[in-house]
Amino acid sequence: MTPSAHPSLYVAPSLEDALNALAERGADGAPLAGGTWIMRAPLRHEAKSPAFVGLGRVAGFGRIEVHDDHVIIGAGVTHARLAEALRDIPDLQGLAAAAGRSANPAVRRAATVGGNLCTAGFAAADLVPALLCLEAEVEIASRAGVQRLSLEAFLAARATLEPGRLLTQVHALRSSARSAHARLPLRKAGDYPVAILSMAVMRDDAGRVVRARVAVGSVEAVARRWPALEAALTGPPLDAASAERAATDLAGEFDGREGVDAPGWYRVAVLPALARRAVAALL
Amino acid sequence: MPTDMTVNGEARTSARDPLTPLIDVLRDEFHLTGAKPVCREGFCGACTVLVDGEPTVSCLTPVAMAGDCDVVTIEGLSSCGLTDIQSRLEQGDAVQCGMCFPGMVMTLSHFLAHTPQPNRDEVRAALTGNICRCTGYERIVEAALAVAGGRAEGRR
Ligand SMILES: Cc1cc2nc3c(=O)[nH]c(=O)nc-3n(C[C@H](O)[C@H](O)[C@H](O)COP(=O)(O)OP(=O)(O)OC[C@H]3O[C@@H](n4cnc5c(N)ncnc54)[C@H](O)[C@@H]3O)c2cc1C
Repeated sequence: MTPSAHPSLYVAPSLEDALNALAERGADGAPLAGGTWIMRAPLRHEAKSPAFVGLGRVAGFGRIEVHDDHVIIGAGVTHARLAEALRDIPDLQGLAAAAGRSANPAVRRAATVGGNLCTAGFAAADLVPALLCLEAEVEIASRAGVQRLSLEAFLAARATLEPGRLLTQVHALRSSARSAHARLPLRKAGDYPVAILSMAVMRDDAGRVVRARVAVGSVEAVARRWPALEAALTGPPLDAASAERAATDLAGEFDGREGVDAPGWYRVAVLPALARRAVAALL
Repeated sequence: MPTDMTVNGEARTSARDPLTPLIDVLRDEFHLTGAKPVCREGFCGACTVLVDGEPTVSCLTPVAMAGDCDVVTIEGLSSCGLTDIQSRLEQGDAVQCGMCFPGMVMTLSHFLAHTPQPNRDEVRAALTGNICRCTGYERIVEAALAVAGGRAEGRR
């Protein structure tokens, strides 16, 4: 590889500067946020990009705004700050748990929301299923302007995103729903979850489910919603045993990915238990 | 591109490539060998140092990200002998091979400063990023609880 004309890491002071630096570097460049994924590239036998642009000092990337009907989360917000900021907000408990239980305390202080959503090769990202349940949208900035798209559309496009683009912030909806995040790491000490099931459920005054959002992470290569389980949960009152039964009947639609930590069949086999735990956390 | 920072109260400049992990700068360039590079994947915590007061895995931190920051390693934790947690770990005979301890001490110092009266579960949760393969953790947890208990005694 010919050496890049740019330093291996340039720490950008502002969004404009970061976008300019990425545009100058073209295919050689890539953003570096917390670095907790990038710095482990040698262990994954992957080459690092020749010219990173550091986002840690970009003004405004660390902002969290909680409004009545939505929340805005800057791409540079760390898992630790997100968990702390959402700690007492009932409808965002799923996202708070996703941020607060991932990895370990020191990694949570470094890893960012932007890094979690932008790592195309990372199936076990905790924030992705939690944000899918909140119908999140992301803003993508380039020198040409800002584009807003659903998280689903972004997940489908992120591996082929042109160089020079940055995820700047996430918008998630607030509602009267309650949310939960059930994950299964093999050990508590910083392991990636083998499977994740996030849930957001809205109930009427009689306790019947009027709307359910369920998303599954780490089972397949990319997290996705589980519409069949959402439909099965909608109508009757929420009940952990029925949710587990419905998930058992429907889990066959997932094609579990093979990994060193767990075989594909196991990731699928634990989904009913995670559905039961997520519902139990909401009752 | 040189990186300026404060390390254990002294102004230092690293001449290393900006993407170099901070742990390598601390050990190989500044000869501060307390923090250990063990797993190099943010899992074991043996490389933990304080960056602007926060426990940080220095194996995953490019040195340029510590630019203009205040870095404290185990060597600079105290200017007057052992700290409370270090003394309790020593008295409780908690240290075996010692590989994980510089990181353990940095994590526990920060944790006890922010959680003055923790319970056992909180101590264990705080240590999920510091792996010890010798001790089975119980004496480490006891030492942390003893620091908290000692403080409560002191206030009575
Ligand atoms: C021991 C350990 C355990 C972990 N366990 C978990 C876990 O259980 N669950 C979990 O969710 N995470 C876990 N992670 C953390 C994981 O590395 C991060 O969640 C995240 O994927 C990386 O965030 P980062 O800010 O460090 O990203 P970086 O490493 O800085 O970047 C990751 C990728 O995202 C790109 N990128 C970063 N920011 C942007 C942006 N704003 N716009 C465009 N592209 C961007 C980078 O170019 C790179 O391709 C763990 C990490 C470690 C070290």
